[in-house]
Amino acid sequence: MAPPPPQSNRSPSPSQPSGKSEVSDLKLQLRQLAGSRAPGTDDSKRDLFKKVISNMTIGIDVSSLFGEMVMCSATSDIVLKKMCYLYVGNYAKVNPDLALLTINFLQRDCKDQDPMIRGLALRSLCSLRVANLVEYLVGPLGSGLKDNNSYVRTVAVIGVLKLYHISATTCIDADFPETLKHLMLNDQDTQVVANCLSALQEIWTLESTTSEEAARERENLHSKPYVYYFLNRIKEFSEWAQCLVMELVAKYIPSDNSEIFDIMNLLEDRLQHANGAVVLATTKVFLHLTLSMADVHQQVYERIKAPLLTQVSSGSPEQSYAILSHLHLLVMRAPYIFSSDYKHFYCQYNEPSYVKKLKLEMLTAVANESNTYEIVTELCEYAANVDIPIARESIRAVGKIALQQYDVNAIVDRLLQFLEMEKDYVTSEALVLVKDLLRKYPQWSQDCIAVVGNISSNNVQEPKAKAALIWMLGEYSQDMHDAPYVLESLVENWDEEHSAEVRLHLLTAVMKCFFKRPPETQKALGAALAAGLADFHQDVHDRALFYYRLLQYNVSVAESVVNPPKQAVSVFADTQSSEVKDRIFDEFNSLSVVYQKPSYMFTDKEHRGTLEFSDELGNLSINAETGDSVVPAQRVEENDKDLLLSTTEKDDVRDPGSNGSAYNAPSYNGSVPSATSQPLADLAFSSTGATGQAPAPGLAIDDLLGLDFSVGTATTPSPPPLTLNPKAVLDPGTFQQKWRQLPISLSEEYSLSPLGIASLVTPNALLRHMQSHSIQCIASGGQSPNFKFFFFAQKAEEASIYLVECIINTSSAKSQIKIKADDQSSSQAFSTLFQSALSKFGLP
Amino acid sequence: MLQCIFLLSDSGEVILEKQLTGHRVDRSICNWFWDHTNSQPNSYKQQPVIASPTHYLFQVCREGITFLACTQVEMPPLMAIEFLCRVADVINGYLGGLNEDSIKDNFVIVYELLDEMIDNGFPLTTEPNILQEMIAPPNIVSKVLSVVTGNSSNVSDTLPGSTASCVPWRTADPKYANNEVYVDLVEQMDATINRDGVLVKCEINGEVQVNSHITGLPDLTLSFANPSILDDVRFHPCVRFRPWESNQILSFVPPDGQFKLMNYRVRKLKSTPIYVKPQLTSDGGICRLNVMVGMRNDPGKTVDSVNVQFQLPPCILSADLTSTHGTVNILSNKTCTWSIGRIPKDKAPSMSGTLVLETGLERLHVFPTFQVDFRIMGVALSGLQIDKLDLKTVPYRFYKGFRALTRAGEFEVRS
Repeated sequence: MAPPPPQSNRSPSPSQPSGKSEVSDLKLQLRQLAGSRAPGTDDSKRDLFKKVISNMTIGIDVSSLFGEMVMCSATSDIVLKKMCYLYVGNYAKVNPDLALLTINFLQRDCKDQDPMIRGLALRSLCSLRVANLVEYLVGPLGSGLKDNNSYVRTVAVIGVLKLYHISATTCIDADFPETLKHLMLNDQDTQVVANCLSALQEIWTLESTTSEEAARERENLHSKPYVYYFLNRIKEFSEWAQCLVMELVAKYIPSDNSEIFDIMNLLEDRLQHANGAVVLATTKVFLHLTLSMADVHQQVYERIKAPLLTQVSSGSPEQSYAILSHLHLLVMRAPYIFSSDYKHFYCQYNEPSYVKKLKLEMLTAVANESNTYEIVTELCEYAANVDIPIARESIRAVGKIALQQYDVNAIVDRLLQFLEMEKDYVTSEALVLVKDLLRKYPQWSQDCIAVVGNISSNNVQEPKAKAALIWMLGEYSQDMHDAPYVLESLVENWDEEHSAEVRLHLLTAVMKCFFKRPPETQKALGAALAAGLADFHQDVHDRALFYYRLLQYNVSVAESVVNPPKQAVSVFADTQSSEVKDRIFDEFNSLSVVYQKPSYMFTDKEHRGTLEFSDELGNLSINAETGDSVVPAQRVEENDKDLLLSTTEKDDVRDPGSNGSAYNAPSYNGSVPSATSQPLADLAFSSTGATGQAPAPGLAIDDLLGLDFSVGTATTPSPPPLTLNPKAVLDPGTFQQKWRQLPISLSEEYSLSPLGIASLVTPNALLRHMQSHSIQCIASGGQSPNFKFFFFAQKAEEASIYLVECIINTSSAKSQIKIKADDQSSSQAFSTLFQSALSKFGLP
Repeated sequence: MLQCIFLLSDSGEVILEKQLTGHRVDRSICNWFWDHTNSQPNSYKQQPVIASPTHYLFQVCREGITFLACTQVEMPPLMAIEFLCRVADVINGYLGGLNEDSIKDNFVIVYELLDEMIDNGFPLTTEPNILQEMIAPPNIVSKVLSVVTGNSSNVSDTLPGSTASCVPWRTADPKYANNEVYVDLVEQMDATINRDGVLVKCEINGEVQVNSHITGLPDLTLSFANPSILDDVRFHPCVRFRPWESNQILSFVPPDGQFKLMNYRVRKLKSTPIYVKPQLTSDGGICRLNVMVGMRNDPGKTVDSVNVQFQLPPCILSADLTSTHGTVNILSNKTCTWSIGRIPKDKAPSMSGTLVLETGLERLHVFPTFQVDFRIMGVALSGLQIDKLDLKTVPYRFYKGFRALTRAGEFEVRS
């Protein structure tokens, strides 16, 4: 009897027997059984093997038993064999020397009478994945491919692929791809054919980077003879293999329309398949085949609608979600087709929130004249939902529908009812919506103002809602009896107002009110401007100053700036560009659809070309999407902020100081007769920034206005001989390529000023700083204390590019820099420039 | 292409790990997954597709067991999910129920199954009939057999004949003393009744379940009296498409044993068999609740297992509810269940009582949704009727049995 095993820290749970003594005990027992031929040996072996494998499964390292296990493997019992194969497969990679011992019995088993054993042995042999054993694989694989049993052939085909991954040259030298091709076109068994297809696709894709022939072969797979060959056998394939074939067909370009119809007729019954994966793969084929034929494409939507809806309602929750994501994409592309099926998108009480969000978006999209009433009624019921985010989302959905419909009578009533519901979040959301609605339908102002006027500003806490309320107070101050006094009391509480957005709106609203009702507002205006000028927030300060000077300069000009005649906003900017949607559509039936972004936005290194830092890039993008899952509007924005791909362009367009998204729609068109007053104010404000009062936010605007401040600042005390192009552009792909190709020309360590370290709390500050020195950031990541940045810069008047990897450790205040350059000779000069730029970071 | 499959227990422990490709996925991904899921709000816990820093994860949860698959490459998400569902079904069928202990006791079988179901990340054989020929299930029969014959191997000696046959879902040549086919119509009614008592949505998702034990290679045809009511259908791979398309006849060679022949959907039903009428009136911090349940259109059979469940809003401090029929239970998480059982013929059951709102709240703003459960034996509420079932090609007499059952699916009443 073994003593009670001591607790090992490897054991995941105390109840599991574990530890060294257990393993050595097993070792002993295995040894005793190894040579025994007594009857019943197999049974005791089986028990022992089970113990070993259960230990392995729990996570205990039993690799020390390798030798004994191999010794015991001489048996005719197939279960024992299987367990042994499993064990060997798991540990061969870490014990390459011992793995050699197993080759012998595996090779023998590959010649067994029983096809099952031949197959299993071959599979295990290929799963050893030990590079120096590949020579032993070729023989058994070759005979496996010629085996008269289809099971063995199936295994052998996948074996070839495994071999390719261990040693590509061995696989190619043995001419296995050619054999597979022959099998693919001639084998009776469709599983063998399907495996050949998947193996060849993988091998040829990987080979095609080096071999033209492989690339040609891969292209050939999409050619007519191949596609027809597979299509003709489609019904014989297993459901999974059918998915594979469909993928292939979706890439096939038919020569004429009759071909398209033939294919669709052939595949139509696949839409009725019980397996959702097949249905979706078929859907993809249909959609892609008919892209060029608008009317047929339309009919395809009609045809696929019912099967997809059935899948959604009859599958397990997981399946429903995957289908629903795809349906979401289709609904967004062609809402009118689904407008009569809106009831399918009604939310069920116990559905998870991510499903509800998808459904809410779809409901919003399919709303039209005929169904708006029902949809809005339904959405209003969700507003009383226990799940607050969903309640908010549904109120927003009502608002969106109101903004896209012509007949908004009923909806406005509903929204106003929300305002009376006395629920904080409901009121907040409704206020924001009423504001948007008024911008589009000024004719509703009478009704809305009556209700809004009853809302006490004390009851509204959320900044966005408060800003909306203040905007309405300013805009409709002539209709709201006590607007000036409400504003006045808000100004009195200036210091308690934490949101800069609200304070900005308050300034503007008081200004507007002043021009409409001067005597009543004068006091409030004075107080607001004074408070604004003393405000610590740069934007608020600047806007107050701007208003102040404007008033000093000329009151009537000020009025025309703050209170111009307004046009109703007809279209609010779409949040997700149609280009992105198209890209996602091209990737139908893939993860892209679930994530609602094209794969280039989220797939990792292996599939976009490798680079050392792509790990961090991957992390960044993933962090962005794990948090919240679905709303595209937010996601795209987050994406922009977090992905940090091409920060250069983004920063040019985005005013870093403005955090309100309500007005970002029509702004920055720059022309004077702007639609609303707000953008104008923003623009005007930015020009004050550009005069040098606000260095940080101003810099981004410099580019916007085409003013070239950056070069000036870059060439401070002792102007280095090297000047950089302030508007250098490089896309991430080229960066990666260059980084791989170029040697490191300089590697240095600088120290950073403590002020710089302190400012590094937000890495973005450094990015903007370096940008002002004409050094652009292409990617950044990391967490305190270690940050990693990739920069690039371009010589002025020359195409020569510098690439920099900069690792900053904030605790040691050191930065390690690696520079790669097209022009090696000037890299020292660039390094000096980079160092001087970096050392100035954080200095006032 | 999947790279790895893990089975996790309800405490996040790895029960089983199956590496599929040369790229070894480290177990630590499970810890990441577990921490991630637990940090999510409740309604996000079961999100089927998750991006981890290194892999994309697919999860399917069944009876507390999480089936987790990892991949790094782009692939059809539904394929992964469908496959995991299939794995769960097959293991469930083999072990007669899913739980941590049964998987641990039979992990060799689970490994064997996974080995045959997926190779190098690509799904292979997932048909239960075929798998059973390759790997014998650990049932009592095989245990008895192994004791009697002394052969305790649970792997059959021969390869399944049908891997090469043209009917890949069917065992080659089963033999039965009694040939019988049972056809069940199992329907689920999904309905939503809104605050005003209007039936906003009502549809039925039905399944035709067949249990067939017939010697040889039978060719069956099944027809309905009123196939036109079906809005959409999907079939088991064994169903031939053409006869359905032209004559709405199901013609098929069935797999052996129990299987799902067809799913269908019937939309736009006009009424529900029972009504549930909740009434809430609140004033001065007290809310009065009254719920009535009764038969609306008598389906001709008894409605039983009637159950009304709802979640009290978080703003409710305490509840005092009594019913005229059945029992009311309020759990600590504010889930309230009213089990009625069979609705009595003479009097409609009702539940009433008061809810005390949290202090400072005058009226209720968030209203509960009532989820209703019921079961009716012997009726398919969609009205679908089986016309006849014929057996071709095999000259046996066989026993046919038909049954029907309707239960509530997502049946909810808002208040």
